Amino acid sequence: MFIEFLFISSAAVTIACAIGVLVVKNIMHSCVFLLGSLMGIAGLYATLGADFVAVTQIMVYVGGVVILMLFAVMLTGGKDFISRAQNLLGLPPSMGSKWTYGVGLLVGLVFLLTNIQLIKGISQSLPTNEINNGFPSTVTQIGHLLIKEHVLAFEISSVLLLGALVGAAIIARPRKQN
Amino acid sequence: MISRKNIVAILLGIELILNAAALNFVAYSRYVTNNLDGHIFSLFIIVIAAAEAAVGLAIVIRFFQIKETIHIDEATQLRN
Repeated sequence: MFIEFLFISSAAVTIACAIGVLVVKNIMHSCVFLLGSLMGIAGLYATLGADFVAVTQIMVYVGGVVILMLFAVMLTGGKDFISRAQNLLGLPPSMGSKWTYGVGLLVGLVFLLTNIQLIKGISQSLPTNEINNGFPSTVTQIGHLLIKEHVLAFEISSVLLLGALVGAAIIARPRKQN
Repeated sequence: MISRKNIVAILLGIELILNAAALNFVAYSRYVTNNLDGHIFSLFIIVIAAAEAAVGLAIVIRFFQIKETIHIDEATQLRN
């Protein structure tokens, strides 16, 4: 019962926020909708019993990529993003509308349910050798797979991340004033 | 309606597509193969998406420094 409710709410948040990313004109609101969509996908991962992937999704995407996107939007935004209009609640648009608060409430609900699911899966069962409905923790198995079978891809991804770090720093360095 | 000319919006769409692929991998891992290889694939997709976002946004910031806009139609030459 709980798992069905988690799946339905996560899927609804994911699809609605993904449509919001595509439809909304304001690029900043689009980024915030992407945050909701990624949070919903983390809930879907928790539904599928992939606890480690769900936590990684939240840490990397919600904590890293979306914040990076918001910084890029703010660094590249011109005057065309600023408007003085008021929304339906009589607040300035930067304070959000009732849609914003509704979506925030829904995303917070999914986040709470995801955490409940993850903690329940970790606390109620020990790691086993198969994926069952009790959702055992997959962290041990994923660690073994990353170190044994997929160690080459693991190392290559570390080199890739180093290259991306250096490349991003070189590309985005300030221009010489001459 | 959903076609965008903003480079950051295009990157947001790329993130959505990568997430859809990773979610498919985990779903197949749960219901078809019954092992954890799909989880590994999803983790590497997440890693590659993070690297792609960092480099892509660096390129966007550089493009804005040069062109003063992030409209995709302005990107027509490799050097100015």
